[in-house]
Amino acid sequence: MRDGPLTELHWLGVAEAAKAIAEKDLSPVELMKALLDRIATLDPKLNAFIRLDGEAAMQAAKAAEAEATAGRLRGKLHGVPVGIKDIINVAGLPTTGHSKILQGNLASADAVCVEKLRGAGAIVMGKLSTHEFAIGGPSFDLPWPPARNPWNTGHHPGGSSSGSGSGVSAGLFPMALGSDTGGSVRNPASCCGIVGLKPTYGLVSRRGVFPLSFTLDHIGPMTRTVADNAMMLEVIAGHDPHDPGSAAVPNGHYAAGVERSVRDLRVGFIRHFHEIDVPAEPEVTAALEHVARTLQLEGAEVRDVHLPTLGEFGAVNRVILQSEAWAIHGPWLRERPGDYGQLARRRLMAGAFFSAGDYVQAQRRRLEMIAEVEAALRDVDVLLCASSMDPACRIDRPADLERTYPRQARTPFNVTGHPALAMMAGLSQDGLPLSVQFVGRYFDEATLFQVARAWEQASGVDRKHPPIV
Amino acid sequence: MDKAMIELLARRAGLTKALAEFPEDVTAAATQAANVVEKIKQPIDPAAEPWPPMRAGTGL
Repeated sequence: MRDGPLTELHWLGVAEAAKAIAEKDLSPVELMKALLDRIATLDPKLNAFIRLDGEAAMQAAKAAEAEATAGRLRGKLHGVPVGIKDIINVAGLPTTGHSKILQGNLASADAVCVEKLRGAGAIVMGKLSTHEFAIGGPSFDLPWPPARNPWNTGHHPGGSSSGSGSGVSAGLFPMALGSDTGGSVRNPASCCGIVGLKPTYGLVSRRGVFPLSFTLDHIGPMTRTVADNAMMLEVIAGHDPHDPGSAAVPNGHYAAGVERSVRDLRVGFIRHFHEIDVPAEPEVTAALEHVARTLQLEGAEVRDVHLPTLGEFGAVNRVILQSEAWAIHGPWLRERPGDYGQLARRRLMAGAFFSAGDYVQAQRRRLEMIAEVEAALRDVDVLLCASSMDPACRIDRPADLERTYPRQARTPFNVTGHPALAMMAGLSQDGLPLSVQFVGRYFDEATLFQVARAWEQASGVDRKHPPIV
Repeated sequence: MDKAMIELLARRAGLTKALAEFPEDVTAAATQAANVVEKIKQPIDPAAEPWPPMRAGTGL
């Protein structure tokens, strides 16, 4: 379709690739071949895939090329490859949850979010590594190895959507689906230096996704840029009358407004999260202050905001998550405890030790916490806070993983259901991504993207790629 | 939570097999649960409702 390369094809973003394909400047087959070649070279070091479906992906790319040549585009993602976390159903492929428990569990139909991506023309490349059942990891006692961080393969890529974060960051695919129950989209986004959104609870259908916790589960887009994230959300968002948690709200138009100025927007900075509740590494604190100053220079007003402590948010999240997960996993934990990895076994069995009263009290406190975040968002348009308090630690040091995993500020917004986006805030002295989180009002992802894009544009974080070759 | 209590609760939850094969994991799970509950403030208002609320007529 064209003579020379546009750019390195593996760094083409979602919007760039879709545009080039629609304008017949790029062949979907050429793009797919470039990505499959890159996967063949890099994935043995990254383990982003549990199952690469390369042959089917190439066939779909050929069909996409024929359609594009004939001027028939399926939608705004025509010919753009996507990776799918392996708790999300893709018809004809197993959904394993990265667990021995579900090995060979063949999905008969696409999850709604996958169906929507395919409807828009996206091409599924395969299933991606996750912490076991989106809770137990990184683990070395499972049928597949854990994914690695492309910024340094000795380090953790974050989880639980580990393969999604690793693969997007390394240029194996331009977009991926993740899920987020206690921060599982935003943690790998933070560790791998990409953009990860946990949308408002109920904005994206969970039908066809293996549940972890019914009232905390969210499906979210993971991309290398804010605009790509908005574009992906436009495709996967929407009411699903067969998902009991789905919100009956009109589809949003998220991509159109990302370039709007943040002048006069009010940003609430939750400093106590990283200064008092869980003191962050100095590099993280400095990066967050830099983000706040940059937004001020762009014309936003930044003021301090106070919410309940991270410790309490985390406890409420944990009681609800583990109680609901126990309801799902109890039968297998009773009969097949040895088929879980140790981390998942320990975390999932904890749900057996909460009382019904513990669960209800956590849900009562949850409603109070929602009211407190809502009150804060009446005075400001967006919240700014830490995501991770540390850069990614080494993957082979269980004590470091145990220490750093709870040092985060993501669970509050699973508890309250507000939309929250994590992205790169800079690089550490060791060359690992640092992160920032923006939080918006319910169903106001558009403003979230606007602020995130202002930071991205001013800082150029979207132009930073891991050194892996 | 002492060992006897952990064993009692584990058996009540049907975790007999896990207790026999992975006793340290059962203890770790019970300890995690005990440590987390005490961090949650109890709502003062007796009428404080849980989330999500029951809403008649919004089922599938």
